[in-house]
Amino acid sequence: MPEINFTVNGRSVSVNTYPAKTLLDVLREDLDLTGSKECCGKGECGSCSVIVGDEVVCSCLILVGQIEGEEIQTVEGVGSLEQLDPLQVAFLECGATQCGYCTPGIIVAVKAYLEKLNRIPTQDEIKEALAGNLCRCTGYVKIIEAVAKAAKQQFV
Amino acid sequence: MKMKQRDKQKTYQWVGKRVQRKDGPEKVTGDLKYMTDYRYENMVWGRVLRAKHPYAKIKQIDTSRAEAYPGVICVLTYEDIPGFNGFGIVVPDQPVLCHDYVRCMSDAVALVAAETEEIAEEALQLIDVDYEVLTPVTDPEEAMKENAPMLHPSGNVHTHVQVQNGDIEKAFAEADIIVENTYISPRQMHAFIETEGGWGILEEDGSLTIRCPGQYAFRDRMQIARVLAWNPHRIHVVSNPIGGGFGGKDEITVQIYLALLALHTGGRPVKIHYKREESVIAGIKRHPFKVKMKTAAKKDGTLIANQVIAYGDTGAYASLGGAVISLAVEHSCGPYYIPNVDLNGYCVYTNNGVSGAFRGFGVNQVCFAMEQNIDIIAEKLGIDPIEIRKKNVYHQGGISSVGHRVTASVGTWETLDVAEKSDLWQRRHHYKNNPSEPWKKRGIGIASSFHGIGMGIGLPDYGAATIELLPGGRFLVGVCSEDIGQGNGTVFAIVAAEALQCHLDDIDVIQGDTKLTLDSGTVSASRSTYVGGNTILAAAPNMIQLLIHTAAEIFDIDPEFVEHRDGKLWKTIPVQGKEVLSYAEIYDYLYQHRRETKVEGHFMVPTAEKMIGKNVGMPHKVYGYQTHLVLVEVDMLTGETEVLQVLSIPDCGKVINLLGLEGQAEGGAVMGIGYTLYEDTVIENGLYKTTNFTNYILPTFKETPHIQTIPVESDEKSGPFGAKGIGEVVMIPIIPAIVQAIYDATGARIRHLPATPERVYQAMKEQGMI
Repeated sequence: MPEINFTVNGRSVSVNTYPAKTLLDVLREDLDLTGSKECCGKGECGSCSVIVGDEVVCSCLILVGQIEGEEIQTVEGVGSLEQLDPLQVAFLECGATQCGYCTPGIIVAVKAYLEKLNRIPTQDEIKEALAGNLCRCTGYVKIIEAVAKAAKQQFV
Repeated sequence: MKMKQRDKQKTYQWVGKRVQRKDGPEKVTGDLKYMTDYRYENMVWGRVLRAKHPYAKIKQIDTSRAEAYPGVICVLTYEDIPGFNGFGIVVPDQPVLCHDYVRCMSDAVALVAAETEEIAEEALQLIDVDYEVLTPVTDPEEAMKENAPMLHPSGNVHTHVQVQNGDIEKAFAEADIIVENTYISPRQMHAFIETEGGWGILEEDGSLTIRCPGQYAFRDRMQIARVLAWNPHRIHVVSNPIGGGFGGKDEITVQIYLALLALHTGGRPVKIHYKREESVIAGIKRHPFKVKMKTAAKKDGTLIANQVIAYGDTGAYASLGGAVISLAVEHSCGPYYIPNVDLNGYCVYTNNGVSGAFRGFGVNQVCFAMEQNIDIIAEKLGIDPIEIRKKNVYHQGGISSVGHRVTASVGTWETLDVAEKSDLWQRRHHYKNNPSEPWKKRGIGIASSFHGIGMGIGLPDYGAATIELLPGGRFLVGVCSEDIGQGNGTVFAIVAAEALQCHLDDIDVIQGDTKLTLDSGTVSASRSTYVGGNTILAAAPNMIQLLIHTAAEIFDIDPEFVEHRDGKLWKTIPVQGKEVLSYAEIYDYLYQHRRETKVEGHFMVPTAEKMIGKNVGMPHKVYGYQTHLVLVEVDMLTGETEVLQVLSIPDCGKVINLLGLEGQAEGGAVMGIGYTLYEDTVIENGLYKTTNFTNYILPTFKETPHIQTIPVESDEKSGPFGAKGIGEVVMIPIIPAIVQAIYDATGARIRHLPATPERVYQAMKEQGMI
């Protein structure tokens, strides 16, 4: 099996595995980064979202052989229990997580979105930006609130 | 009266506030380990072989090729089941592994454990099952006919629930208006984001650990034990945390498969985690219903009669189908008083997958029918839709349509009043007259509903909680009822912190563990806040007694001279020594003397005075109520409907956590939008056409309307701090409200859900609107 080298959350890693293994399985099984979840396995739900370079991708649709030399950011790289990202604080304050299974993917998608923003987004823009992430519990309202709150904080 | 006023002014430290989830931080960081996130070095993978046909006789099963495949550890069939080969919450008529017939595509025929998931998948292909293919029964009304193939020895009608009151024929003869319609509703999928999965581990001491998300760990344990013919005490079920439930994990999912496989892997942990495609086929769904409803009223809008025939398609097995039909019948007339009723529900077997528990539990389907009939009556009589509902609601102390006196709190009228006074209703013409595009039209719809809290009369319904004093004066609250996402764990912490006069951060909550918690009943039937809260309020006085008696011992005075105030124990008489003791000091003393620091509290759910006929579970004593007001916009060129605004007005009794309540109201509203406009698990000739989220359309961020929640807090005396339950009713009346708003916008009535663009367009065409 070939050795594949890339960076995860700022840390260089090398894994020996089948190049056709999905990035999601490599993260979860080889690197024990289980924040990224599998839900549909088809790129429909966004539960496995990670950032490759500066793009949000569904890690269930990426083969690990494709990411040689790339920089990956997962939910584990956004913040920690000791040092929450302001975005994560906004999620807690707004009540934007319920069962929590979709939350890591959404946090990642929002993180990438916020980093590209150059102004406070409208509600419709937030909805558009996150349309690739499914949540079955919250009804999305409080997630939109949390994103708006975090975005606003970014520009004050 | 003075007493009552003082009660009303009572201020709480935690109850009713916007409290952040206790388990929030580890959810937003991804730290929380769900069951399927665990891995073990020596693990093996389990897979399930499903039926190849929706209805067939099994002639032979040959597993020899699969067993010989390298990397396969075991292949199990019905012959390997030590105990009872069946499961099901009420009637265990679903085989764990089929032996004579397969009755739906969800049926399991064999299990495989292998070194890798891929090998397990390969091995499934090598199991040879010889079938004699039979013609499936796919329509409940056809299934009820005498010449239909019998899917079970008892016949195809699993249950017939009937309630009759008054004189229906006389009432119809005397009516000024009669409205009769047939309503069809879809097979909704729970679509929890975490598919079914978990671990089975045979421990070194010979006990079995099953780590699998569920909605009632103790009942899961019983069902596993029955199949293994084991003493349940040898089985440890851990069922928390859960990546979404909504009723879909109420029944057994993979627990029994895990247990059977774990007995054959030499102590190696076995994991099953369904792919979404398998979850779609294997999982229970919401019962599709056909409801024929004939409703009569007098000129002034007084409802006088309702005749209902509801057919629920329970698929191949009962699961909770009988109870779903019973709830449908109980709630079929809405939260109104109708003196003359003939209500019939049939729960019918077919070869269409398996239906079972799902948020709303049969009430969604009948509410869709009832609220539309009321709306049609109101329109024909020229009565305002809010006024006709206000006129017919029963109040606390009044009689329901199934004929029992409702002694618990009833807030329907108040929810309607809030809707009536809202900006959306008051300025409805303004909102309606300003569509976003000239080819779009807007409409407003309103509907109310209710939902029983708990199991209802005649069914076991109880709860228990433990409170343990911990080092540092903290508390560990144990309630088995799982947190399926709704945030009941935070509710339990709030109730405990309020009762024990401590900070919320000083409460830890443990849930979903048959070793570490007591049996607290299911997480279903909108019951966990009501029951769990009451069990904690039963345990808290025992803890306070323990604190007081221990303090008295330390102070060396009589307990009657110890006061529990502001989270401390105070001495009320002047004797030497310390004036006050903290919980931490009490713990230290108990620990030093090696004494118990844990107490229990138990709660039996109160029931109505008497059963309605022979219908076990009917009626309930306590109900939650709900009104929804919605604004929609329909594209007249395509029939596409967008929900723009939702006003959600729940009567959940006293709100325990406002943030959690809003979360339920918003999540319920959007799930109701999905049910009304998009979602249906399509089964044709017994075969699933729906496979994944590519062809099962869920609401996304883009379909999220503006949602406002205004709770009406009727004070329910039997509830914890006056609380009732809310988890289900928050998704119910929005269904007919949307459909009525579509009518208001377009003039077309939709009687078949989901109201897809095609159906709305066709209805507009057929009914002459375009």
